[in-house]
Amino acid sequence: MNARLDSFSYDDDIVRKFLWATMIWGLVGFLVGLIIAIQLPFPQFNFAPYLTFGRLRPLHTNAVIFAFAGNAWFTGAYYSSQRLLKTRMWSDGLSKFHFWGWQAIIVAAALTLPLGFTQSKEYAELEWPIDIAIAVVWVAFAINFFVTLAKRRERHIYVAIWFYIASIITVAILHIFNNLSVPAGPLKSYSIYAGVQDAFMQWWYGHNAVAFFLTTPFLGLMYYFMPKAADRPVFSYKLSILHFWTLVFLYIWAGPHHLHYTALPEWASTLGMLFSVMLWMPSWGGMVNGLLTLRGAWHKVTEDPILKFFVVAVTAYGMSTFEGPMLSVKSVNALSHYTDWIIAHVHTGALGWNGFLTFGMVYWLAPRLFQTEIYSKKLVDLHFWVATFGILLYVVAIYSAGATQGLMWRAFDETGRLQYPDFVETVMRLMPMYWVRIAGGTLYIVGMILGIYNIYKTWATRPAAYAVPVVQAAPLEKAFHDDPHAPAGAGLWARFTSAAWHRKWERMPLFFSVVAAVAVIVASLFEIIPTFLIKSNVPTIASVKPYSPLELAGRDIYQREGCFNCHSQMIRPFRYETERYGEYSKPGESVYDHPFLWGSRRIGPDLAREGGKFPDLWHVRHMYSPREITQKSIMPAYPKLQENVIDFDGIQKNVDAMAMLGVPYGDAINRAPQMARDQAKLIAAGIEATGGPKGLENKEIVALVSYLQRLGRDLKNATAVTAPQPAVQPVPPVAMAAPGGGNR
Amino acid sequence: MKLSDIMGAANLSVYTEIAMLLFLAAFIAIVIATFAPGRQKTFDAASRMPLDDEHPQTPR
Repeated sequence: MNARLDSFSYDDDIVRKFLWATMIWGLVGFLVGLIIAIQLPFPQFNFAPYLTFGRLRPLHTNAVIFAFAGNAWFTGAYYSSQRLLKTRMWSDGLSKFHFWGWQAIIVAAALTLPLGFTQSKEYAELEWPIDIAIAVVWVAFAINFFVTLAKRRERHIYVAIWFYIASIITVAILHIFNNLSVPAGPLKSYSIYAGVQDAFMQWWYGHNAVAFFLTTPFLGLMYYFMPKAADRPVFSYKLSILHFWTLVFLYIWAGPHHLHYTALPEWASTLGMLFSVMLWMPSWGGMVNGLLTLRGAWHKVTEDPILKFFVVAVTAYGMSTFEGPMLSVKSVNALSHYTDWIIAHVHTGALGWNGFLTFGMVYWLAPRLFQTEIYSKKLVDLHFWVATFGILLYVVAIYSAGATQGLMWRAFDETGRLQYPDFVETVMRLMPMYWVRIAGGTLYIVGMILGIYNIYKTWATRPAAYAVPVVQAAPLEKAFHDDPHAPAGAGLWARFTSAAWHRKWERMPLFFSVVAAVAVIVASLFEIIPTFLIKSNVPTIASVKPYSPLELAGRDIYQREGCFNCHSQMIRPFRYETERYGEYSKPGESVYDHPFLWGSRRIGPDLAREGGKFPDLWHVRHMYSPREITQKSIMPAYPKLQENVIDFDGIQKNVDAMAMLGVPYGDAINRAPQMARDQAKLIAAGIEATGGPKGLENKEIVALVSYLQRLGRDLKNATAVTAPQPAVQPVPPVAMAAPGGGNR
Repeated sequence: MKLSDIMGAANLSVYTEIAMLLFLAAFIAIVIATFAPGRQKTFDAASRMPLDDEHPQTPR
């Protein structure tokens, strides 16, 4: 034993900061969620241009995931890591940089998303300068964390820390690879991937954001704070080790289940399904481990609202990790995909698992951090019950909304025609459930307000100066010692099972982390590279051409307004989909889509074959006032599109960025603005000739119409290859420029 | 000739299977090491770590 003892204290100031940030951003994120929940049944609450559903929905998801859950993880990680490693964080400066940097990024997100700056990839919407800032802050966090790990005074690294390590490394990798893009301006960029590859990359990211931002960090918190609150060790440490390794091995492969029946190659989708189903086992192992930590302490649950929060959190973890594998089974997914079922699923996870684990942790931490009694235990209990009822109302309503709409989409009548051919019918049926969701969400927010009030009152009774207890512990010795508890024995087998090698590895946390990172990268590359480089996986279609400069400008508007939040562009190969929308989508169709815009939810109909379905004038009027065209439509109105002027000269740099990505733009590389002006003039003249408003030739609406009228046209052209130009259209008298623009 | 032609001809699919086997082997090794007899005391010490903020449970 080393005689020398180090004296040190834990940095709780940073924990207090993150705790406040968690509660405040949580409230903001929930409120934005309530606003968009209200906008669905009451579309008049869309205040274009900044506060429409399409722009606020990403703000809600980003705020809840990265601001609320992110700050909650950091709160718990800074508290528990120091104590588990018996050391102060290596650098208080880096801790503070992490805190203020992260909050600055959140503010940047809250400003840029309503302003329409978006990469339009779910949970990765933030534009490239913010992405770089995230990477910098993350690296600072990682350096601080890993050096602290190296300076620890506890030989074994507790399993909660393993979960943090895996999360820190994987989030960094996911963030960097998914956000690779070519900038086309200070807040505009195009993903370097296109179509299928971009979709694959995005959902590899998207699913693992759920895994490594909302699951593994919170499991780390669970393995620390559940034993703390129950005052007994975790039920089975062996099970927690197994839980960790199984999740780490399996999660990274599961992403493709977000793309069942899309244009993704089938092998990838099946792989994703299999690994997702396998994930059920370790997840439930972890849930059981969490619940059984309360063995012999169940009587405490009735008295201690903190334990109540934890029990519901772990149960919600169990429910959503059962439901996840079920939804990833292709035949279930055929019904659930694009519906509210998925929204209900994520809210079981977010409200139940992340939310309640956070609240339990916050209430446990508050009296310890503020060194006083909790202001009101009754209010904690009230928060628990109000929020629990809120969750129930929310998820029951939205589960039934999902099932209802999914079943209505696929219903045929006795004559073999779609029973609900009008998409809006399937939306109207959901309205009562949307009202219930608003009630449920409101209850959850009431609970949050009670929580903030309670924490505030607790904080108000803090001592004039916080006591800073000094802890003494010996530093780790340089020399290697065998585990004192290890069984004696000789030979290779005994050496392996005594895990002396593991103790050696634990002495090299940096090496260990690098090895883990390499494993994650290699596994990801093996899953992703084939779709990028093996030709047979993305068959090309000769008639698919790049968007014309004006169409590209229209596509940028489509992205800016967040249309993809409600409209998919991916028709699945089912009869009920092809009947409703047209020929199913092919992988070769989106080879020039940087980024892909397949969407993940149909609050409105699919648009993959929208081109030529309606005349230009219909789109002009529909964008101006959707409810004059479809009485019950819940789409926001976009009257400003008829006033905003297209920045024709700005189109060139966007075309150049696309050309840099290998899109064969030909002539447009030199004269994109002129080509766009020409096409816009043609379309505007057609609109005017059919009785529409005058003078639209330089307005944004024309660009958007040109893009919408282009959607799905290339494939129709493929069936009539002999015709040089689709001059004769069987569909309505559309006044159109040549689809594909003048660039062919 | 494009990169995708070369990659397509290189028949890389065998490497995905090798990677899969490597991962499986590593996982089995972890399971054996975790559940090997005689390690209960080690894990008991580790599982007490959250409960004591001041004293290392596994020093040296």
